[in-house]
Amino acid sequence: MVLLKKLYQKKYLMPLLAAAVIIALVAWKPYVLVQGLQRGGLYALIALPMALILGIVGIINLAHGEFMMLGAYFVYWFCIHTGIDPLVAMTIAFVAFFLIGAIVYLVTIKHVLKAPELNQLLLTFGIAMVLTEFANLLWTSQARKLHLSYVYSSAKVGSLTFGTFGFIYPVAAIVVLVGLLVFLKYTRTGQAALAVGQNPRGAKLVGIDVNRTYLLIFSLSIAIVAAIGALFLTRHSIFPAVGSPYTMKSFCLIAMAGIGNLTGVLWVGFGLGIAEALVLSFQGYGGWADVVFFAVLVAVIMVKSYRRKIA
Amino acid sequence: MKNWRYIAYGAIAILAILFPFYSGLYVRQVAITILIYLALALSWDMLLRSGQLSFGTAGFFGLGSYAAVLLHLSGAVSPIVSILLGGLFAFVVALIFGVAVLRLRGMYFAITTLALASIFMLIIRNFPALTGGPEGKMLPSIIFGGDPSKIYWLALGIVFLAITVSEVFQRTRIFFALTSIRDNELVAKSSGLNVFKYLVFAFAITSALQGIIGGAYGHMYGFVSPAGSFNVNFLLLPLAMALLGGIHSTAGPIVGAVVLGVLGEYLKLKIPYGHHLVYGAIIIIVTLFMAKGIMGVVKTRTRSAKKSEVRE
Repeated sequence: MVLLKKLYQKKYLMPLLAAAVIIALVAWKPYVLVQGLQRGGLYALIALPMALILGIVGIINLAHGEFMMLGAYFVYWFCIHTGIDPLVAMTIAFVAFFLIGAIVYLVTIKHVLKAPELNQLLLTFGIAMVLTEFANLLWTSQARKLHLSYVYSSAKVGSLTFGTFGFIYPVAAIVVLVGLLVFLKYTRTGQAALAVGQNPRGAKLVGIDVNRTYLLIFSLSIAIVAAIGALFLTRHSIFPAVGSPYTMKSFCLIAMAGIGNLTGVLWVGFGLGIAEALVLSFQGYGGWADVVFFAVLVAVIMVKSYRRKIA
Repeated sequence: MKNWRYIAYGAIAILAILFPFYSGLYVRQVAITILIYLALALSWDMLLRSGQLSFGTAGFFGLGSYAAVLLHLSGAVSPIVSILLGGLFAFVVALIFGVAVLRLRGMYFAITTLALASIFMLIIRNFPALTGGPEGKMLPSIIFGGDPSKIYWLALGIVFLAITVSEVFQRTRIFFALTSIRDNELVAKSSGLNVFKYLVFAFAITSALQGIIGGAYGHMYGFVSPAGSFNVNFLLLPLAMALLGGIHSTAGPIVGAVVLGVLGEYLKLKIPYGHHLVYGAIIIIVTLFMAKGIMGVVKTRTRSAKKSEVRE
């Protein structure tokens, strides 16, 4: 009886449900699980830096996916010219885009932080468009791809053969998540960021350099997402418009997980990734996979607004 | 003083109507494009006056486009009627979604409207039997047999319609309702204003306008496709134009559309790829440095000129 009662508690309900779904999938369509984890890992990975600036310090950045695209192009260009591996060039992209993020913050974002939210939305939408067109101008709209041999490594479990390299996304997502959680909890800058997010004025009163915190967090988020661009590049072909859907998907994950909930982003990412892979696995209905994401976004935002959780 | 102003408006209107008689084919084509974007910019601004930033213009534009073209293809209605029905379709869809979406504010509203536009596009792409799928649908003949003067007048007629609706929004009680919602929703609500009703109304009307514009666009080119009819340009350009001209007014988007339309055409010739960079840059610059746009600058200039006159 006690066990049954415990099962009814919400705390245990979700993991149990998740476990049930996973077991059902393993029995029915194991490939969907593998693909869903890889896809969902990528979504969560890209969404995490956005969750950092949106959820922790409250800057909305509609150019998020575009910075990933730019990071991917940067790494691509670097690899073509020097012949080094994208996973090595990733570190260079991180440093370069930390500086670029700082410049973007100082020149633009800084000036709209106190303005109404609409200005932030418009400004970052403008930045997104400029970045896309900038890439168009420099590299044309032709799709580009790196050919790496290790991407095609595969493993065999029972009768199922699947690519193993794609698991780099969920692994990286977990690494980034843990890194961010540690950063927020145990470093002074991270704690300052949490304080600024709760109340910028109060943070200023207790002696936190609010401007510097915004600057650091924004640059960090841009740097991480640009480095993710390198990971993205290893498996996908890139073109100037490749980033924009990910901006919306990232926002979708964050809205679902709840603003400020970093760990939730990971779970929601896996959930949506598996749902998408499931839709894709039905022959002839693959085109509907993208609808899943947007429909879930609209549904979740609506439900939350009815519950008055968001204004 | 006031009469002069109306005479000037009338003169501009007559010049615009007579435009095809004293312009070449190329100029007329450019003018048609500018008029289309002008009407879109106005419709976007009308909703912004209530403080709601919509990224859904391209979505309702595409819906109207598809509705008009498909209705005409089914053979039942003439092009003009199908354009109006396209607007009606966008109106109904906006009404249904508006009831849900307008519970949201700020970034939630903005991003949900952006998502709605994507949903419309994906749904249309996934019904090849009805909509032609990714390839889209082609009309057997273009409206008015492709006569550019008549197409110009159609676009101009739509612009006059948009201006009329915009002026109704500016001169009736709708103006006070929307402005008070923008300034302080809580106060508006506690003064007895039905905020939700006005927002849904404004959303549906502006979406219907976008649907009509889309329908006309579809008939002008005789072609609809998911990538073309839902193109991000139908969001980006109107935004840049309205912002550049000055938001929250009728004159602003008109001035912005004309200035940016002519400039954009020139840039298209100079840099064929990536001339859209300019539109993004204009959005950034305007939000950062001149929140009231060209008309705002003009107004403060004339006001300070008047003041200095008084002083002298």
